[in-house]
Amino acid sequence: MAEKPRLKVPKEAKKGEIIELKTLLSHVMETGLRKDAQGNVIPRKIINKFTCEFNGKPVFSADIEPAVAANPYIQFNAKVNESGTFKFTWVDDDGTVTTTEEKITVV
Amino acid sequence: MKRSIITSVGAAGAVAGLFAVAALFPVEAPAQAKKVAPLITTGDASVRPWKRYSDWPQRDMSKFNTLANLVSPPAPKEPKKIAGPVTGDVANGQKLVADRTRGGSCLACHVMGPAGNADLPGNVGPDLSEIGNAGREDEWLVNYVTDPRVYNPESTMPPWGTHGLFNEQEINDIVAFLKTLKSPAKFRSPLDDPMKRPAPVETRDNLDDLQNPGMWAVEKAQELWKAKGPLGSACVTCHANTATLKSWSVSMPKFEPRMDKVIGVEEFIYRHAKATTGADWLMQSNENTALAVYLRYLSNGQIIKVDTTSPGAKAALERGKALSARKLGQLNFACTDCHDPSKGGLKWIRGQWLGEQKGQYDHFPTWRTSLQSIWDIRKRFQWCQVNIRADELPPDAKEYGDLELYLASVNSGLKMNVPGIRH
Amino acid sequence: MQTITRRQALVLGSGAAVFMTVGDVSPLFATPAEADAEIAKFTGGKAAEKGKISIDLPEIAENGNTVPLQVTVESPMTDKDYISDILVVADGNPRPGIATFHLTPLSGKATAATRIRLQTTEYIIVVAKTNDGKFFTDRKQVKVTIGGCGG
Repeated sequence: MAEKPRLKVPKEAKKGEIIELKTLLSHVMETGLRKDAQGNVIPRKIINKFTCEFNGKPVFSADIEPAVAANPYIQFNAKVNESGTFKFTWVDDDGTVTTTEEKITVV
Repeated sequence: MKRSIITSVGAAGAVAGLFAVAALFPVEAPAQAKKVAPLITTGDASVRPWKRYSDWPQRDMSKFNTLANLVSPPAPKEPKKIAGPVTGDVANGQKLVADRTRGGSCLACHVMGPAGNADLPGNVGPDLSEIGNAGREDEWLVNYVTDPRVYNPESTMPPWGTHGLFNEQEINDIVAFLKTLKSPAKFRSPLDDPMKRPAPVETRDNLDDLQNPGMWAVEKAQELWKAKGPLGSACVTCHANTATLKSWSVSMPKFEPRMDKVIGVEEFIYRHAKATTGADWLMQSNENTALAVYLRYLSNGQIIKVDTTSPGAKAALERGKALSARKLGQLNFACTDCHDPSKGGLKWIRGQWLGEQKGQYDHFPTWRTSLQSIWDIRKRFQWCQVNIRADELPPDAKEYGDLELYLASVNSGLKMNVPGIRH
Repeated sequence: MQTITRRQALVLGSGAAVFMTVGDVSPLFATPAEADAEIAKFTGGKAAEKGKISIDLPEIAENGNTVPLQVTVESPMTDKDYISDILVVADGNPRPGIATFHLTPLSGKATAATRIRLQTTEYIIVVAKTNDGKFFTDRKQVKVTIGGCGG
């Protein structure tokens, strides 16, 4: 999927604040259980992993199964003690990695 | 799921000679145009021949009423005489009343004691858990299920026998089961009781693009706005200032005298784009749907107010109101059967809430979570029809225009809030 | 607090689910036992205590395509005491797995939300693991229904 990820991440936070991050990637999340009109199984194709790092350190990640809905939405929290950059990655079954970054200023 | 394909009509040359175009091409279309919008006023605005979506039920229901045809078999003039007590297979009856492949079935509208494990039955019809004690003769029960109209001409209930949903023996089995119902249903939780189940409230923020994929259509439409069509122009050529369109979509649909027909936003998009930029955005194509979302979205917060005073609009409104009360399909439902609070409106069919007409228009086009796509109002009409086992019409059918005008008039006074997000 | 024991037999896939029975389960769907097997893989067969978890799910989902889920686990989320993993499974889907969330003290709060697909009325079971190997669990049922008139 070439679609850009959609994110809601605060641009600023206080030192030690716990912020909420919302992420979404447009993706069909084909379960591998559906059949096409001819009765052939449509092969599985999902985002199977999501990770979030802050200034290179792991914050949160998810191992994702086909039971996660299409256009996977992942929401989680992060405690920010310093300014820096969040890096988000999504890994497709076919190996494609989509990645994006968001900066935050911590006062 | 991919829907609809754009059929490209061909080069600008083919386009130029074939259609009737009214009015001029202003440099910037004024907010309250005294000029009428250029439209292609001949030809169809959706794919022809119209073929039902391949992932929709493919039943041929041409023997039953549609919004365009009155062909359903008539109700019997009187109940049939039943000689003695009815015998039937109680266990089969209990299965049949819960069988969704039979158009519901009974459990969609009735609580029926243990049937369906008392799991989310509906309450459009009365609770039948004690019908076995209600003193009803077998003849009455058989006839009521076969065709309720012999006792109640205004019945909401499908004529299960007359319309061929159940055969005579199956109806006997159902009646045999009904006769065993002599005590109130035992619900496993208050949620299973439709009288106690709270009506669903939509709490999602429909304008949040992380909640509602429908919002992505706004971005797509903004790109389409600038895309040059075969005639060399784009929407932006005349409509650079979209703020001037703020009050437009709340006045739709409109009776269009040039076509003697009510035109909605989606049909307008096809006919207007074709006439001005040459773009071929058939109704229910991805482009048409994105622009329909966008044009409504530009009116968000404005009050819906459609014209019902011109002679053409008045006549269309009357037709639309009559169509909303017409019984359609094998299940013999009119819009009003499900959406008028005096009938099935504001009640449950199984686990699905039936909204009333007021509030059913202001959020279209809407993202549908059950079908993972954006639906305009015409597609919603079509799907309703197919699911009550009536053949649908093409999206630009004039009957849909009349019906939409009526629905919009019922929704007048509400604020536009598009794109919606719904089941 | 109620302690639910997981017998070693569950790791081998034999034996019935210990603490839950669900209503009708179609043979086409995963069984509670398969969900339990997933859980046993996660816990290594160790017992999980009921509690500390709140599961935010609608009581009725009009369709099972996109059901919002949020799980939150009570925890100070300090370097010494934090939730490291949260397993989410369902006992009525074709396969039980939904997601496993991995957290760190930088998560700040032990919470995660997503949207899930549910095939039928079923239980969502959440198991949380602490950094020092303790397990907590809870479950919640969602009634999933489909269109009323056969559509």
